Amino acid sequence: MSVSRRDFLKLTGMTAAGSFLGGSAFLTGCKPSAKLSGTRETTTICPYCGVGCGLIVSTRDGKIVNIEGDPDHPINQGSLCSKGSALFQVGVNKRRLEKVLYRKPYGTSWEEISWKEALSRIARRIKDTRDATFQEKDGEVTVNRTNGIASLGGAALDNEECYALSKFARILGITYLEHQARLCHSSTVAGLAASFGRGIMTNHWIDIKNADVILIMGSNAAENHPISFRWVTRAMEDRGAKLIVVDPRFTRSASLAHVYAPIRPGTDLAFVGGIINYALQHDRIQKEYVVEYTNASYLVHPDFAFHDGLFSDYDPAKRNYGDRKTWAYQLDSKKIPKRDTTLKDPRCVYQLMKAHYSRYTPEKVSAITGCPVETFLKVADLFTSTCKPDKAATILYAMGTTQHTVGTQNVRAYAIIQLLLGNIGVAGGGINAMRGESNVQGSTDHALLFHILPGYHPAPSAKEHPTFEEYLKKNTPQSSDPMSINWWQNRPKYVVSLLKAWFGDAATKKNNFCYDWLPKFSKPSSFLVLFEDMIKGVIKGLFLMGTNPAVGGANANRILQGMEKLDWLVVTDLWETDSSIFWKRPNVNPAAIKTEVFLLPAAASVEKEGSITNSGRWAQWRYKAVNPPGEAKSDLDIIDRILREVQALYKKEGGTFPDPILKCNWNYTEEGEHEPSPHLVAKEINGYTWPDRNQVESFMDLKDDGSTACGNWVYCGSYPGSRKNLMARRNGGDSSNNIGMYPEWSWCWPLNRRIAYNRASVNRKGEPWDPDRWVVKWTGSKWKGDVVDGGPKFGPAEKNPFIMNPEGVGRLFAPGKATTDGPFTEHYEPMESPTQNILNNQKVNPAAVILDTVAGQFGNPAQYPYIATSYRMVEHWQAGAMTRNLPWLTELVPDMFCEISPSLAAAKGIKNGDRVTIFNARGRISAYALVTERIQPLMVNGRPIEMVGMIWHFGPGCAKSGDACNQLTPPIGDANTMIPEYKAFLVDIRKGGE
Amino acid sequence: MKGKAFLVDTTKCSGCRSCQVACKQWNNLPAEETKFFAGPEYTNPAHLSAITFNHVKFFTLDRSNPAMPVWTIMHKKCYHCEEANCMKVCPQEAIGKLDGWTVIDQSKCVGCAACTHACVYDVPHVLFQNLSRYGSEQPLIKDKSYKCHACTVNKRDIPACAYHCPTGALTYGNREELLAKARARLNAIRGQYPHASIYGDTQFGGLRVITILKEHPEKYGLPMQPKPVDAEKSEAIRDTYHLLSLFTFGLPSLKRVAYRISKSLVG
Repeated sequence: MSVSRRDFLKLTGMTAAGSFLGGSAFLTGCKPSAKLSGTRETTTICPYCGVGCGLIVSTRDGKIVNIEGDPDHPINQGSLCSKGSALFQVGVNKRRLEKVLYRKPYGTSWEEISWKEALSRIARRIKDTRDATFQEKDGEVTVNRTNGIASLGGAALDNEECYALSKFARILGITYLEHQARLCHSSTVAGLAASFGRGIMTNHWIDIKNADVILIMGSNAAENHPISFRWVTRAMEDRGAKLIVVDPRFTRSASLAHVYAPIRPGTDLAFVGGIINYALQHDRIQKEYVVEYTNASYLVHPDFAFHDGLFSDYDPAKRNYGDRKTWAYQLDSKKIPKRDTTLKDPRCVYQLMKAHYSRYTPEKVSAITGCPVETFLKVADLFTSTCKPDKAATILYAMGTTQHTVGTQNVRAYAIIQLLLGNIGVAGGGINAMRGESNVQGSTDHALLFHILPGYHPAPSAKEHPTFEEYLKKNTPQSSDPMSINWWQNRPKYVVSLLKAWFGDAATKKNNFCYDWLPKFSKPSSFLVLFEDMIKGVIKGLFLMGTNPAVGGANANRILQGMEKLDWLVVTDLWETDSSIFWKRPNVNPAAIKTEVFLLPAAASVEKEGSITNSGRWAQWRYKAVNPPGEAKSDLDIIDRILREVQALYKKEGGTFPDPILKCNWNYTEEGEHEPSPHLVAKEINGYTWPDRNQVESFMDLKDDGSTACGNWVYCGSYPGSRKNLMARRNGGDSSNNIGMYPEWSWCWPLNRRIAYNRASVNRKGEPWDPDRWVVKWTGSKWKGDVVDGGPKFGPAEKNPFIMNPEGVGRLFAPGKATTDGPFTEHYEPMESPTQNILNNQKVNPAAVILDTVAGQFGNPAQYPYIATSYRMVEHWQAGAMTRNLPWLTELVPDMFCEISPSLAAAKGIKNGDRVTIFNARGRISAYALVTERIQPLMVNGRPIEMVGMIWHFGPGCAKSGDACNQLTPPIGDANTMIPEYKAFLVDIRKGGE
Repeated sequence: MKGKAFLVDTTKCSGCRSCQVACKQWNNLPAEETKFFAGPEYTNPAHLSAITFNHVKFFTLDRSNPAMPVWTIMHKKCYHCEEANCMKVCPQEAIGKLDGWTVIDQSKCVGCAACTHACVYDVPHVLFQNLSRYGSEQPLIKDKSYKCHACTVNKRDIPACAYHCPTGALTYGNREELLAKARARLNAIRGQYPHASIYGDTQFGGLRVITILKEHPEKYGLPMQPKPVDAEKSEAIRDTYHLLSLFTFGLPSLKRVAYRISKSLVG
């Protein structure tokens, strides 16, 4: 019998799904080429961006022979981008670390040490630092916190590793816990959660094919999420979909667009505010959807007001909106929000927003953004044409949206327009936050962030949650509305199960399930603040797990200053990163830097087993193809070894508050094995009964009495039986609605729901808005199609669709504490702007936090006249360690460069290919100049404004080095999440490198 | 013309350069040392070479219609001409056809570079140093000519470049079907690109890489009526070369000189 390659891979797929029985062995079948004859094949998922493409790794004699796209994978169908195609060189590369490298304090070079020695020294540093800096009380409140240790990174780790790291950090009492998600999509989570109750990409990659209009804004999807364009081009070809690209530069995405609109960096809110106004003025809204499924009809507090850029409740002295009491609905006697479904009441959300956005006229939009009026109108008309029930538009966005002082509000603006058009919950619609790291969705889910616990529970704060009772009370919303499912009322079950998963038998009802063993933070310590505290000397030791803040952090010079203050640093990575060699970077004297550095060799994605979660929340299982090089180990193995070493020290010597360390539920090694098993971790994440450890099937099974343990309730159902790993599924069939959901391919949280808020895709009778593209439908007694939101027992007329919001509807007006900076969006200028704000008299977001320590580091347009923005390109990835070490990619983009317009080049005497210096109040960098027609000056408030665009992939280390763009980016963050404003700042440029 | 071919649709290319890397990966080709961008915009390397079998050319942005600027990004590799100049001029008869593809037999090649001179598309190149294939023991041999062989070496069902293309800008199939597809596509895009064109139907007896372009081919340096080499003349060159090569002591560098002299002698 001859077996085709596709058939063969299907066979292997079946093996893959069952392979947790005994490791990851695959069949060897017929191969089309001598190159692959006799090879063993394993499947994997790409470790670069968040699309989650499948690949096949072919190995012979324990060595990688070939890596190529997996033809059966429904997202990429065999195709890859340049990075994915180069993955072979991550596995086969002379620069990979094979031994532990150690740099002694004030040392000038690395020395090799054994794992044994490294682990023993690291454990010693951890214990000494923890014991010396542990804080038991803050005033009256038990905080049990280690002030002297911080941990960064995790978006490149597997889910099981992220979860273990999250648990490890809390066990040690660490609250300085951050990672890439803070810097890329923290404002997404805040903005989407404020609107819909959840901070997730609403739809998924394949679903782009169902769109009629695709708006790419604040993103360059063709470069940074290249396989998304497989589905963009599919929609264009199959449905005649129109592509709109709004971007300061004419990008590779723009090259395929029907409409390209230029925009000045940092003016997205003016642009989208203009579209919202256009929709409201021209009645381009889906009325039935707006009345039924949004809060348009809700009446707002009589004292809520807006004047000259400020909402009511503003306190100028504190630069914040305090308790935001007026940002509220009017309630009736049963505490249910009052409504006017005719939308005529002047206090209803619809009327308030109509007045609010009326100021965003096309002319104003054009003057602020620099986009010509007619181009803006073309975009507004095309995008709002999807207000018809059977039309859908999707928004694809990324860092161009999120990395601003108004990042959260930028995302809110998308939510508002998409709710008005009825584009949320439907196929081909949604707001698609494109994740840039392969597992940044998972690392966020597992809460490698100071402010949350796994599953999006607020992290305990000394001020807000002094006791467990207070914690549960504050975080368990109530709703009297019979239409509301109010899912977060279940929170206590999930939190208790989490504590049980962490502290096992020690967690009892009597001791509040060890709530006080969790460290409580006393002040928000997001990425920027963390480094300020490092400079102050508070933080003594730092872990970097697959992260490179010396390149990726805003105001990178200050980050390096912080690192120089550390007593010790533990870096885990595939190779020397720019951050790991901060002590020997150009122009510093290593002999003057005290930091003791451990560089631990890590296994790459194809050298270990585990799952990662893509942007569309598909948790996909990867297999081990080969052993890691030399003595390299998986991150899970490393975390496990460090913790066990620390446990041994505490056991032997005692120490400060050893309980969480010694009594935690931590045993991931199968009997007779020497390494921790990712399956055991995955099973704990899924959850099981306590103490008999039977896997639970869904979060409906979780209890708040200690009889269940669950590491992360949103992953409940991913591993619902001891041999049932649904993340490993490879069934390539589509579902009955035939919209590309592939429900039996891997597993998707929550509960394998592929399109979030899918109850909003039908009317109150349960009929799909578009019968040809239905997601779910109600047969009169049950739901068909996707896993319906809020459980199958409620019909469409019984409950509201946005189950995570207490009111059950999507929020045009974000009430109460949903945001820190306004229930509606408002345009403010970036912190560093080349012009004044012509919409109101507030310059920058009035609620943005300006840190005292860096207040002197901002510049003005008289000193630095050009607006700068940073971005990525397809050939490189993030801070560059995983691409600047690959010859096939550095061949394509070998150097740091900037892009400027021919007019700016002429004014400065710069020719294409010249070396230039770009500088501002925070630093100066050298780069090559790419003089390009793709960048043009924009007319802003009647004056042409030039722009300098820079890639940020380069740094002082790796095979190809270059200056880091982030030496220039500003240390100011979004008002809600402190995501730095990487995307709009001021610089000057001159001919000649440094 | 029967047999397989590639279709390059520049109206679908997002310039991700997967084709460029996938080729290097499958064929274990080493990277070139480059600096900044060797060609216009992001083009890198600027030219095809003995170790770069395909590359993506980024043309400069055309703003002649300010409302609708046009940025053309084009995958380029050996066009596999039916009546290939390189094949006609090779004095060693090292270049031939395999399933319609123009391929070089390196075991016969002496590195005289006749093929390089004859190709109007600047495709075949002689390797001037011994290189090991990336991640493999196999060598790339000095003084041999190399170019795209459409994955007929280490044969695979779909060549690596086309297999990995995300957007459908580079596809592989039966030439006749692809040509029909190209013509249909041309009609579909005429609204957006009034001067769109198809390249490769007739040149050199038909190319096995058909390209859909947003403008006239000449704009992208693709000659509408490229000149085939004169059969008589190339035979004369070959005769002269064979005579001269008796005095080259088997040295490829001298063979290259001999070929150049022969060419100028026959003139």
